[in-house]
Amino acid sequence: MAEMLPTADARYGIDMVSRWLEGRGLQPFDFQRETWEHMLAGRSGIVNAPTGCGKTYAVFLGAVARTLANHPVDEPATHPPGLKVLWVTPLRALAKDIARAMEEVLSGIGLPWRVGIRNGDTTTAERQRQKRSMPEVLVITPESLHLLLAQKGYADLLSGVHTIAVDEWHELIGSKRGVQVELAVSRIVGLSAPISPCIWGISATIGNLEEAMDVLLSPLLTSMYTRNSTEKTVIVKSQMPKNIEVTSIFPDEIERYPWAGHLGIRLAEKVVPIVEGSRTTLVFINTRGMSETWYQTLLDVQPDWAGAIALHHGSIEQELRLWVEDALHEGTLKAVVCTSSLDLGVDFRPVESVVQVGSPKGVGRFLQRAGRSGHAPGAVSRLHFLPTHSLELLEAAALKQSIAEGLIERRDPLVLCYDVLAQYLCTLAVSDGFEPATILPEVRSTYCFREMTDTEWGAVLRFLIQGGSALQQYDEYQKVEVQDGRCRVTNRRIAMRHRMHIGTIVSDAMLRVKFITGGHIGVIEEWFISRLLPGDVFTLAGRKLEFVMIRDMTVLVRKSNAKKTIVPSWMGGRMSLTANLGCMLRRKLEEAGKGDTTDPELEALAPLMELQRSLSHIPGSEELLIEQIETRDGYHLFVHTFEGRLVNEAMAAILAWRISQIQPITFTFAMNDYSFELLSDQPIPVDDGNVRALFSTDRLLEDIQRSVNATEMAKRKFRDIAVIGGLIFQGMPGQPKKARHLQSSASLLFQVFSEYEPENVLLRQAYREVFDHQMEEARLREMLDRIARGRIVLTFPERLTPFSFPVKVDSMRESLSSEKLEDRVRRMQEQLER
Amino acid sequence: MTKPLPLQIHSQTLWASAGRSLYWEEDASLIVSDLHFGKTGHFRKSGIPVPPKVNREDLQRLVVELVYFGARKLILTGDLFHSEENLEWDHFRRWRDSLPVEEFILVRGNHDILKTPAYASMGIRVQEKSLSMNPFRFTHDPQEQSDASRDLYTIAGHWHPGIRLTGMGKQSLRLPCFYFTQKWGVLPAFSRFSGLAQVEPAQAKHVIAILPAEPRSGGSPSLIALK
Repeated sequence: MAEMLPTADARYGIDMVSRWLEGRGLQPFDFQRETWEHMLAGRSGIVNAPTGCGKTYAVFLGAVARTLANHPVDEPATHPPGLKVLWVTPLRALAKDIARAMEEVLSGIGLPWRVGIRNGDTTTAERQRQKRSMPEVLVITPESLHLLLAQKGYADLLSGVHTIAVDEWHELIGSKRGVQVELAVSRIVGLSAPISPCIWGISATIGNLEEAMDVLLSPLLTSMYTRNSTEKTVIVKSQMPKNIEVTSIFPDEIERYPWAGHLGIRLAEKVVPIVEGSRTTLVFINTRGMSETWYQTLLDVQPDWAGAIALHHGSIEQELRLWVEDALHEGTLKAVVCTSSLDLGVDFRPVESVVQVGSPKGVGRFLQRAGRSGHAPGAVSRLHFLPTHSLELLEAAALKQSIAEGLIERRDPLVLCYDVLAQYLCTLAVSDGFEPATILPEVRSTYCFREMTDTEWGAVLRFLIQGGSALQQYDEYQKVEVQDGRCRVTNRRIAMRHRMHIGTIVSDAMLRVKFITGGHIGVIEEWFISRLLPGDVFTLAGRKLEFVMIRDMTVLVRKSNAKKTIVPSWMGGRMSLTANLGCMLRRKLEEAGKGDTTDPELEALAPLMELQRSLSHIPGSEELLIEQIETRDGYHLFVHTFEGRLVNEAMAAILAWRISQIQPITFTFAMNDYSFELLSDQPIPVDDGNVRALFSTDRLLEDIQRSVNATEMAKRKFRDIAVIGGLIFQGMPGQPKKARHLQSSASLLFQVFSEYEPENVLLRQAYREVFDHQMEEARLREMLDRIARGRIVLTFPERLTPFSFPVKVDSMRESLSSEKLEDRVRRMQEQLER
Repeated sequence: MTKPLPLQIHSQTLWASAGRSLYWEEDASLIVSDLHFGKTGHFRKSGIPVPPKVNREDLQRLVVELVYFGARKLILTGDLFHSEENLEWDHFRRWRDSLPVEEFILVRGNHDILKTPAYASMGIRVQEKSLSMNPFRFTHDPQEQSDASRDLYTIAGHWHPGIRLTGMGKQSLRLPCFYFTQKWGVLPAFSRFSGLAQVEPAQAKHVIAILPAEPRSGGSPSLIALK
């Protein structure tokens, strides 16, 4: 049982931990001390501090102080055995470092606690040891926490937990792993009632920190014992300023007709002095494919860097990645070209500079990457922004302004994820079984499921117990059974398979890549390799590889010296510009339009803006610019929303549908983060008379349903949901799929459910995810409201404008090979400049 | 039901049906392939709640096809039953008695793992490799050739052939199809709970795709000859 604090001894605990810090020549920061006080008073909350500022000490030392207040070090007999502190971290890689730091604290203070690590890397022997005798502190991932809940007798293990810390909560909150954390917390709070554990989230700054706290602490806030006690929760902010210095890399000449993917590489030489001037530099690239190209380009520009620079992305074999990470720690690398694979994780002290190539798509992400340099408290984080086309300089100005004003994105929590719920209930059924009457209030105490109806809960239970809307006759469905009011899984094969598939991270169908002579290199998507012929050469992990054959789900390759290689592209992970950044972009445009600016980026863009103004218009922040242009390709309608790719994709479809209601007309679409384009072979009937109606929110939902191919999008979403919800079992890359007779594709299941069981909870969830996340319906509506309040400017430029050019080029990209495209774009640029 | 499409092969008339069957008029035989009965039950028994209605609808459709054409014979080119025996097999056994056919022949496919007597007890004759009935030879895998019957036209299944249609923008659709070349033809999988293997129309003589049920076609699937 967690204990209530006798305040008389509260000082003792704080004194002990402060003395330990002082013994190491450190002064506790104010926010650390504050956190300890709150923890001693039994409060829960969020610690908000930049990385590298001792957030771990704030919460861990608090838990130690809280224990010492009740159980002084010199009275070992009073220490009850068992798990006390659960430390949830999203990253396996962090676990060892955190555990080491904790052990240092414990041995320094003399508290006889053990620290255990529990994640995918933990050996069976170690897990068995932990089962016999739990360490007092467990550093654990959300998945492993659920695996713990799948273990018989888990209630006894967890009922003594008095502190739950959730590290990097800002990363978890917007994901299904966050939902896993919410559910696990609800169970532990339920187990320890009537006493509540202290729950602390550790988070970087996000736009909705208050909400993030409410999400994490929701089970506490709604639990019947602590209701009406919002004074028991608190956000502790470190006052330490993080100094960030953002510098843009300017091209020597501003292209007045910008297009992506070209300029970046041409500016590679400008990265050289940055790398030379720092101990270690991280070069962040947005996609894995581009990072391969960049790595090659840097080596071409600076051949003597061979061996001194490395490549790191999510599809490279883990062994190689770990090698790169170790080298980063030791400071033996000059530079690492990386993707979001290095966004999070251990701090690499030698990193002095960060280069961001292309749009980071959001302020939060930009700050996070900046924070990867200058790690010591008080040090300056240096970030260089390298645009991939000139218009992105506008984004640099917008990012700087947002940082100055502290405008960071929200991370919206997910709601009603029935796939995760189905998995969780199955997990409980696998271990000790559950009584719906006990678990339902706990599940509803989470933020994610607080609005779940009885009908929906019933549908999830029916899905697990009866297998959906079953026909009684001839049915042998078995998974969760009800015995004496308890829901259990009794079939051992089903239980084992469930344990092996706990988790919410779903990978694409990947194949492992391996040298014929042995040695793994990484993974590659199945669809990419299916288009290669033996003898083709592609690049992975910075190496040129000749495709030999596929055997046992493994791609066998040999080294190649070919000049020309194919750079793989990996699907997925194409981020969309955030609403925050979009809003700031529109503000910066207005400044540029008025010539009212001191931003060097905007000044550099002056020639481009001048051309835009003379051909068309530069929109103010409350204006929507629509350009109608006729070219040899046909009639174009460009709409510049600056609202991100996803919103543009949905809006393009809706607008096309609405226009087609005026007269029969066919379009093709193209879009990027800034704009979208409709192209037709006949004039597009949009004018001042009807444009407001075309952008109104009237009948928006119906129009979305008619225009957007929601079925196709839902089918794509359904794959992840089907895996999480237990309909499909993922094989590991390189491992032949087991149980062939039980394999079916997500698209087949989607089709079968759509036809025979359209009310299925997981199927309906797929459609909801499309509306909420794919089309960002809420954001779409907000945009239309804004447009309704503002002005719509319709222009008819005689040729393509600087704003319309990038999206026009993007649309050409799809039908042409890249080499031809380069030639064609250059020709277009020349013609337009004339 | 929408109208079947006739094909002339080796002077015989074959009717391709949107119900995923092929009717051989001269012999009054209905030919179907890859029924995979019991597949839903097999999944469900292992805790994967696939809608069981699929299996039932497949059975009903088989009867509809037989009655529609008035077939006397049923020829199955493999994969009648998905796996081991289960309750759906019993279900099928009960239906078997009411199937209005005089002869029921199964050419064994890779999924047909039950022993011959199990089939015999249900009045199903099992052909191990292939069944020759001039001018046709029925086998499970179209790839499996035999010299003895070189002049015969092979009718097979196994592939679950599907054809990809691409439309404007990035739209594309995959549809089950009948696929006939100069020397052999492959039937679509009869079961609705079966995936598709993409085939290329290039070397085919006839490709007939099955369009999903739409209000326009009276709420039932229809056929479209692509080649």
